[in-house]
Amino acid sequence: MNCCLCDQALRFVPSWRGIFLYEAPELLCQHCRNEFSKITEQGCKFCGKEGEAICRDCHYWEEHGYRELIHSGKSLYRYNDAMKDWFHQYKFLKDVLLAQVFAKDMREALVNERAVVVPIPLNNEKLRERSFSQVDELLLAAGIPYRHLLEKYGETLGEKTRQERMATKRLFRLNGEKVPKQLVLVDDLYTTGTTMRQAAKTLQEAGAESIRILTLIRA
Amino acid sequence: MQAIEAFLSGRIWIRQFIPFPQELVQQAIDQGNAIVVSGISADGQCARCLETSPDYVIPYTCATCRTICRYCRTCIKMGRISSCTELVVWRTPPTVNAGLRAFGWAGDLTPLQNSASKAISKSIREREDHLLYAVCGAGKTEILFSPIHEALQKGLRICIAAPRTDVILELSPRFKQAFPDATIHTLYGDSPEQSGYGEIILATTHQLYRFQEAFDLLFVDEADAFPYSLDPSLERGVKKAGKPSAPIIYISATPSKTLQKRITVHSTIFKRYHGAPLPVPVYRAMWNYERQIRKGNLPLPLKRWIEDKLQKQQPFLLFFPSIQLIDQVYPLLHKIDSRIESVHSKDPQRKEKVMKLREGMLAGLATSTILERGITIPHLQVAVIGSDHRVFDRAALIQIAGRVGRSAKDPTGDVVFFHNGINRQMDAARQEILFYNKEGRV
Repeated sequence: MNCCLCDQALRFVPSWRGIFLYEAPELLCQHCRNEFSKITEQGCKFCGKEGEAICRDCHYWEEHGYRELIHSGKSLYRYNDAMKDWFHQYKFLKDVLLAQVFAKDMREALVNERAVVVPIPLNNEKLRERSFSQVDELLLAAGIPYRHLLEKYGETLGEKTRQERMATKRLFRLNGEKVPKQLVLVDDLYTTGTTMRQAAKTLQEAGAESIRILTLIRA
Repeated sequence: MQAIEAFLSGRIWIRQFIPFPQELVQQAIDQGNAIVVSGISADGQCARCLETSPDYVIPYTCATCRTICRYCRTCIKMGRISSCTELVVWRTPPTVNAGLRAFGWAGDLTPLQNSASKAISKSIREREDHLLYAVCGAGKTEILFSPIHEALQKGLRICIAAPRTDVILELSPRFKQAFPDATIHTLYGDSPEQSGYGEIILATTHQLYRFQEAFDLLFVDEADAFPYSLDPSLERGVKKAGKPSAPIIYISATPSKTLQKRITVHSTIFKRYHGAPLPVPVYRAMWNYERQIRKGNLPLPLKRWIEDKLQKQQPFLLFFPSIQLIDQVYPLLHKIDSRIESVHSKDPQRKEKVMKLREGMLAGLATSTILERGITIPHLQVAVIGSDHRVFDRAALIQIAGRVGRSAKDPTGDVVFFHNGINRQMDAARQEILFYNKEGRV
């Protein structure tokens, strides 16, 4: 096997853990793995952005009609150059295998979760075009069970400016499944929070009481 | 020839990315001019790059076709191909366009170049593979012009492939000058779209994935890594791009023993076009150079060498084994003279910096192995720092030494291997250069 990012041959490093416990085979070389940067310090209580206890974006949401929607949340990684490359290859070159790269991190973050895990969906047209849902694949790779509750309208945020994003009116509708009281919303990349706040609002109106969020990357 | 035929002829292309209206594509398929093939065959081979390894052809649940699909990771950068991707292949062979063609090259060949050129023409006529084994600075491109002109007049479709974009970009203007009335396409990673039917295609080896049974004649430049290159799919790409009977001319200054054995017809040139011998590398010990650099000291032998070149106002290249080391040494070099810069493969200004060195605006460049080939700068001097490092194999060291003394006006220069112990690759490189010089003298 070669590293799935730089295609250098992987060196097998034996360990006691590996002898006695099953460990999923490593997909990255040590060099590529080190390029990613985990968010370690306690940051914004809603999105995990480093710095203030409530970041600028979340402050805006709390002031503008999206108050007390999200109980708490976190993000796992910074959006550095390595992460941008990974994200591009995963989402836009459609390299599905790369979902495995963060399987361990996603699993650690969600394995003891008692609330229902709800992935952010794509709209159907986009799904057919991309051929996979990037959030679902992350969860599948991590072996975390999930349940879809939302459907997305036609619009995508990708090409919008910051102001346009934050002013977008409605992004989601319910798909008809019963909405549980406690849930965790999961997405790949958190940029301004529009997606998460909108999804949370739709779910709260349908009866969700405690909504937490988890994203792989905080931009 | 219709525009769509000119574009698709000899190509294998993702249907939705064909730059023509879908109705035209459909019409071509209905008329039997083109066929549609599945991106990944039933037994798991990529139709574009011919990858078969299950490490690179990956199954997944596809939301487009709602089955278990496979996609290919080897050529994913050219737009992902999966089992449900439709690829269009043009079937109707193009009409052969033989006749007199203009020839814009009027230089002279040395007797050695001339006989190699004749031998290649003969191989093309007899449709046999050929290896042109010629030292750095032998004038390889000029040797090819006359055989290519002959092939062009016969109406053959010709491909010149090289592994790196820099080489292709350098060849392009020379070919356009030599064959002024031919349609020449230059293809590399982000190359602009070029219209019409390309009679001569200059392409990076990767771009050949996009062709299928297109060429009557192929030249593979810098073929030293063949056949066991780091990326075996590239060799498959070359084979697939050519018609089954197409001869392949391999060109290399440092061909592997395997290639030399496999290709039976050779022509060799162990002498530079200007007749002077190749500069022979000199070994100079520089113990613990890595540690010294890490601690912020420029090793003394290297410092003296650089100062000598600065004083003589000779441009120089310093080859380092890793980007990390370049970053560490750069401030130390900058302290000696602010006209010393550094480049590596990820440097967007790499072309400009080489230009500046050539024009004398820079005194020297610290570089990784990316500049080991294809650059010609008069009066250039070269030092390899850590020539015992594994990135510097025999072929790389010969290529690096080959940067020096390329012009007829100044055919000499320094090639110094600063080492932390002499190894076999260094010796092999030096022996081979001595061998060329001995053979070339006869």
